[in-house]
Amino acid sequence: MTQLALEGLRILDLTQVAVGPYATLLLGFMGAEVIKVESCSRMDISRGAARPTSQGEGLYPGGEPGERPWNRAAHYVHRNGNKRSLTLDLATARGKAFLLQLATMCDVLIENFRASVMDRLGLGYETLSHANPRLIYVKISSQGATGPERDYGSLGSTLEQTAGLASITGYEDGRPLMTNETYPDPVVGILAVGVLMAALRQRRQTGRGTFIDLAQREVTVAMLGEYVVDYSVTGRVPGPLGNRHPHLVPQGVYPCQGDDMWVALSVSSDDEWRGLCRAIGQPNLAQDPKFATVLARRHHQAELDQILAAWTQEREHYQAMHLLQAHGVPAGAVLKGGETLVDPHLTARGFWDVVNHPEAGTYTQVSTPWRLSKSPRRPTIPSPSLGEHNNYVLGDLLGLSQQEIAALETQGIIGTRPIGAEED
Amino acid sequence: MPENDCILGDIRVLDLSEDVAGPFCTKLLAGLGAEVIKVEAPGTGDISRGAGPFIDAAPHGEQSATYLYLNTGKKSITLDLQSQTGAFILQRLAQECDILVESCPAGHLDQLGLGYATLERFNPGLIYTSVTPFGQTGPYRDYKGSELIAQAMGALMHTIGLPDKEPLRIGGNAAGYTTGMSAFSATLLALYVRDAAGHGQHVDVSAMETITVAQIHASIAHQFGRTPTRRASTLAQAQDGWVHAGLERGVREDTWARVCALMGRPELADDPKFNTREARREHQQELLTLISEWTATRPKEEIYHALQGLRTVAGYVATVADLYTSQQLLAREFLQCIDHPDAGTATYPGAPFTIQGTAWHYARAPRLGEHNVEVYCGRLGYTREDLAHLRGAGVI
Repeated sequence: MTQLALEGLRILDLTQVAVGPYATLLLGFMGAEVIKVESCSRMDISRGAARPTSQGEGLYPGGEPGERPWNRAAHYVHRNGNKRSLTLDLATARGKAFLLQLATMCDVLIENFRASVMDRLGLGYETLSHANPRLIYVKISSQGATGPERDYGSLGSTLEQTAGLASITGYEDGRPLMTNETYPDPVVGILAVGVLMAALRQRRQTGRGTFIDLAQREVTVAMLGEYVVDYSVTGRVPGPLGNRHPHLVPQGVYPCQGDDMWVALSVSSDDEWRGLCRAIGQPNLAQDPKFATVLARRHHQAELDQILAAWTQEREHYQAMHLLQAHGVPAGAVLKGGETLVDPHLTARGFWDVVNHPEAGTYTQVSTPWRLSKSPRRPTIPSPSLGEHNNYVLGDLLGLSQQEIAALETQGIIGTRPIGAEED
Repeated sequence: MPENDCILGDIRVLDLSEDVAGPFCTKLLAGLGAEVIKVEAPGTGDISRGAGPFIDAAPHGEQSATYLYLNTGKKSITLDLQSQTGAFILQRLAQECDILVESCPAGHLDQLGLGYATLERFNPGLIYTSVTPFGQTGPYRDYKGSELIAQAMGALMHTIGLPDKEPLRIGGNAAGYTTGMSAFSATLLALYVRDAAGHGQHVDVSAMETITVAQIHASIAHQFGRTPTRRASTLAQAQDGWVHAGLERGVREDTWARVCALMGRPELADDPKFNTREARREHQQELLTLISEWTATRPKEEIYHALQGLRTVAGYVATVADLYTSQQLLAREFLQCIDHPDAGTATYPGAPFTIQGTAWHYARAPRLGEHNVEVYCGRLGYTREDLAHLRGAGVI
């Protein structure tokens, strides 16, 4: 009953940076075997530089890059748990041949290169599916596998712009802003898991693999659907609303005790408004016609904001949240990244894993955004060092001898240290 | 093969969810061919029917763009789950369904005899997906949430916005959509297990956890010694909007010289303040001023294409209007026209992914209770008189 959901599913993971690694991190939590493929000349760029040259380049435990910085760079470590690491120089004929051979032993290949990279390497879907007709090829790209911008390069922050998300994000002055979280990356990583499950169901029905075209820009536009529909009929172009909402009044974040601490609240009904008045010890405010209805509150929101801020300023953000919630008012502390690590709710739900990483030390790892009652996730397996599983993949899976593997290392086709690591 | 080559052509979904997250999950299931029966409260329906933006001047339950978009491809029945008869009818429907998606406050459906533990006894294969602000367990399980609160508690918004201002949320319903995608992925994980092992399960999806997963910098950077903060904007003003030069990450070092040539400032190519990625990051605001001098007199999309041509990761801030003229989105036929009897013809974002061999299932959103006769009479065997009786009693 407690078998891992994806036990026995093997994934060849050519992704790097954020979106793809996030997808395979989540698949790994659910039990898939993920083989991450990099090369010593082209590591996942989230591993950082082989030898960071300046202070502040990259992010390492204690600010210390250490002897093998590529194995302990924060973002690499955080996004690449639950995986095995293989190095393979795909520019060489033998490297390509091994990848093809591996593709015949895997259920899934996933990559997020610029659109034409795999074709140029001679490892496009046609070739791989010929070698393994049951292979599911997941192509995550910024613009999609077709179209005039298919080879455009993007980061998550670029896609926030080109998909329109930045145009509705900003303060009430109307200037667009980006997030600092490259939001389309994690979002598409989360979605990719379900899309792959759908393709696996199709394979169960047809016996054949398939090609998935997942464009980050399009997924991000899908999050603006109501505005797209509205514009097509009314011609209205939405802009940023700050933290306001057309129907939830008041809504906003209010300052609390402490440095840069805030509490968020959203009032969705007159009932909740009365609860808010009780919570802040001003029950008579509920009778004030200036605030009695949504329309009235919107009209006097600036005055209302001052009343609320005067109350929140006297309290800690968690304290304000608990008091407001006790009166039925939707409220939440605006948590900092560090605060979520010790949040009592997330802790009680077992959301975080404390990971003892052989090269990065002890840190706390995000897990899955879901829990399945009969298919629990497994605990985080620390991210692998570069090429850590070369022997397993080439020896145990492909049947090469130790001598053959050693020869590949001598030829530079595999390795455990990036090119450039020995310069100093 | 199921009918129409649809991956979920044999799957029936009972959708009790409201607002954004749950309905987006079931919209995606409908797109893959599942039959989705949306159960709405008699009279008012899904709260998104009242959310707007309304495509007609007056608010109208069939003309809320949020509802129209989030409920494409579904059937609608009305049912009062608070009544005993309503709960009984839902139990019958749940016996014939593969997936149930709900977004009630944790424990609410248990009290009505419609919780997972009860329904599982009737239908052991049932996948029961609960989508809530904080999940089914833990000290905040009964707390109320909202789009803003999910972004707040998931440590997403603290770093969004400008340093001298308050934290800022992402616009629209970003957290709701993302939570819907979590629910979609989780539900299909459970279906994968069911296809292999036969049993269903309870799937618990929380908006707070989804957003905590979606903050990919804040919690890890904090632990590795660099607490992220709100930063000055790096968008540059163009003639008709905003652009980003895309020179900070993910570009080759020789790109800078080519950008300088393009801007007509070749002398900057060797300027140590800008000629490495690290230097540009350090002198970001100075760089922004420089770039803005060049961008200010040019159209944003022209800048985007020119800089992308030099292998930068440049962007332009598309407005919703710009999406309609994007050559990329047009070439991929991403936007689709759908007709609706009350709302008329409108343009919708289409399939957010394609799986070769499967066509996306496009159909309009239903009117409130449009499929009562089909489902209650056709499926459950009620007569027209029974329906009239139920309607009179306010059950449907």
